[in-house]
Amino acid sequence: MTNRQARMFAIASTAIAALVFLTLTVHSHTRFPELTNAEAITPQVVAGQAVWHRYNCVNCHTLFGEGAYYAPDLTKIAQLRGERYLTAYMRDPSQFYDEQIHRRLMPRQDLSDQEIADLIAFLAWVANVDTQGWPPRPILVATGLTMPGAAEQPGVTEVPVRPVTAEDDPIAAGENLFRNVAPPCLACHSTQPGVNMAGPSLAGIGTRAAEIVASDGYTGQASDAEGYIRESIVSPSAHVVPGPMYSASGMSFMPDTYRSVLSDDEIEQLVAYLMSFR
Amino acid sequence: MRYKSQAVAYWYFAVAMVLFGLQIVFGLLSAAKYLGPDPLLYILPFDVTKVIHTNLLIVWVLTGFMGATYWLVPEESRTELHSVRLAYVQLVLFTVTGVTAVIGYLFRFGTGNKLLEQPLPHKLAIVATMLIFLYNIGMTIRKAGRFTVTEGVLVLGLAASAVLYLPALLHFDNYTVSIFYRWWTIHLWVEGVWMMIMGSFLAYLLIRLSGVDREVMEKWLYVIVGLVFIAGILGTAHHYYWVGVPSYWLPIGGFFSALEPLALVGMAAYAYYALRRSGLSHPNTLALHWTIGSAVFALFGAGLLGLAHTWPAVNRWTHGTLITAMHGHSAFYGAYAMIVLAMITYALPSLTRSRVSGESYVGYAAFWLQIAGMFGMTLSFATAGVAQVYLERIVGLGYLDTQLKIQVHFLMLILTASVFAIGVGLFIYDFFRRVPRSEVVGDDEPIELPRREAQPAG
Repeated sequence: MTNRQARMFAIASTAIAALVFLTLTVHSHTRFPELTNAEAITPQVVAGQAVWHRYNCVNCHTLFGEGAYYAPDLTKIAQLRGERYLTAYMRDPSQFYDEQIHRRLMPRQDLSDQEIADLIAFLAWVANVDTQGWPPRPILVATGLTMPGAAEQPGVTEVPVRPVTAEDDPIAAGENLFRNVAPPCLACHSTQPGVNMAGPSLAGIGTRAAEIVASDGYTGQASDAEGYIRESIVSPSAHVVPGPMYSASGMSFMPDTYRSVLSDDEIEQLVAYLMSFR
Repeated sequence: MRYKSQAVAYWYFAVAMVLFGLQIVFGLLSAAKYLGPDPLLYILPFDVTKVIHTNLLIVWVLTGFMGATYWLVPEESRTELHSVRLAYVQLVLFTVTGVTAVIGYLFRFGTGNKLLEQPLPHKLAIVATMLIFLYNIGMTIRKAGRFTVTEGVLVLGLAASAVLYLPALLHFDNYTVSIFYRWWTIHLWVEGVWMMIMGSFLAYLLIRLSGVDREVMEKWLYVIVGLVFIAGILGTAHHYYWVGVPSYWLPIGGFFSALEPLALVGMAAYAYYALRRSGLSHPNTLALHWTIGSAVFALFGAGLLGLAHTWPAVNRWTHGTLITAMHGHSAFYGAYAMIVLAMITYALPSLTRSRVSGESYVGYAAFWLQIAGMFGMTLSFATAGVAQVYLERIVGLGYLDTQLKIQVHFLMLILTASVFAIGVGLFIYDFFRRVPRSEVVGDDEPIELPRREAQPAG
């Protein structure tokens, strides 16, 4: 190869690669509106993006897996946590996590309520961008697990959930829902005793539900354990579990969308599954 | 030093050294926060130390590139610089821009856009600096009427770096589109035009240190540049996989970024060839260490460790974990930090009075402590990252629970980073214990084979 041929190789390969790249860039622009739900980019989403930038969020967190690796990925956080939860969290993260336990804590950012609302709108838009199936499974913030790999732990789907059919036991169908409904129950609730995540542990809930209904402090309409669990799924604020992690001003942080997401049969399956924890 | 104006390089290198030292301080601080709890949570939180750590890196490496260019161009074009005064004005402007940007970050005055956090006035100042720089270099070459392939590739790489910074000035309401163009700057810098810069410094150093035939080296430099761009341009797609782009970017990114190590293999082979062909004939063997070290470490960090997680089916699981930090640290250090340190080590005996050329004990200690430290840091990030991928992404533990379980790797990170920091400290000490000189001295490259002049490119 002569010097001249080598130079031609460098120029030609650069030119061809650049041409292909630019062509694909132009084509990508025709697909961005659909893939990113561009029509959902409201002024509030844009304002939320500005909040995201202003507070330098990307130098601890990742978004679309890009950023620093010091704090959890937030790409799908708006699907895993309700707006009320995120609002309360942004007001004071130390209410939710303990620096002595987790060795790491998000400093309070002193955002205004408007900024928090904008940021959540931005994160909600991000959560709906088509990320080609990434992450392949939810990236959770804290599960409170201590021993990975055991089958009974929430979030462990490497022990695959058996596919269910209509003939299956409602409890099996309920377990499947517990893991797969959107957002999945296990993103916030552990079934291990004492493991309180974004929501309280559901260990022994079948027994405890009956005690709660019978107690003086109970504020809901249910008259038995099944009724209480059903009520907690479809209207989470009817009776709130005490604690600043779970509610504010009498309103539970749990999404109240399950009433419309789940059919009546599915709610009964979920109740059957949860009643199995005694 | 054959030309008086080459002395400006010393001051560029001096600034680069100070900023390099500061970068390591903020890096150590950031690493300590991985262990936690953080007593500085409300004074100097992680996001601030991290943004300063990465920005100082970019500023000192660029300062080093510019200094090395001011050293190289007079020699290659056999002339004095067009304007020494302009070179100093540029250095002051660039340093002030960099330092005020960093001070601003302490008060969260930045754009919050990863690696492009510089506020708009600073971005404009950076563009102005680059224009002054390119003008000064361009006029020097024009006045000389002579330029070599090595220098041509270098100047093209620097000019392209300036052009590719321009997308960073744009703002998009769509975060996905904003990411798309952010990589035009960052990726096409580090896996594109900066590789041209590295390749030409490498060619220059190998020609000078080994006395190997220039024409052969410059021919292969073209081939390396070709390989860089075949793979590097479409390899940008490996940053696009999961950010909201069409699915065809996945196979394209996988295929072309898998080719990216080729250019790095080429550079390592290039260095090996030069050694085999002409041996270690130059007295500055320390510079030779840094030169060969850069080629080898870049192949390891940028090539091998990049390849390790670039395929979409793998990246799906590793994306956004400490695996990326593993690759990022070793790649940037091997390819860019080490090549600048190689240029400094090569030029320093001529730029300063002290005649400690290659045989300084401190210099060797600095080299080996840095290599050992960075290798250990890479392994720490790698082991932490593999554990993180398994526990968090596959088993499904929460992020915070996983981070608690990999604390031992953070301890290892801090220990190896401390070794690295001692190496950096020694390098800086070795630099500043010499007194700069500005007088022209005779040709102090003792062994240099007769060279044939190459034709200018284009």
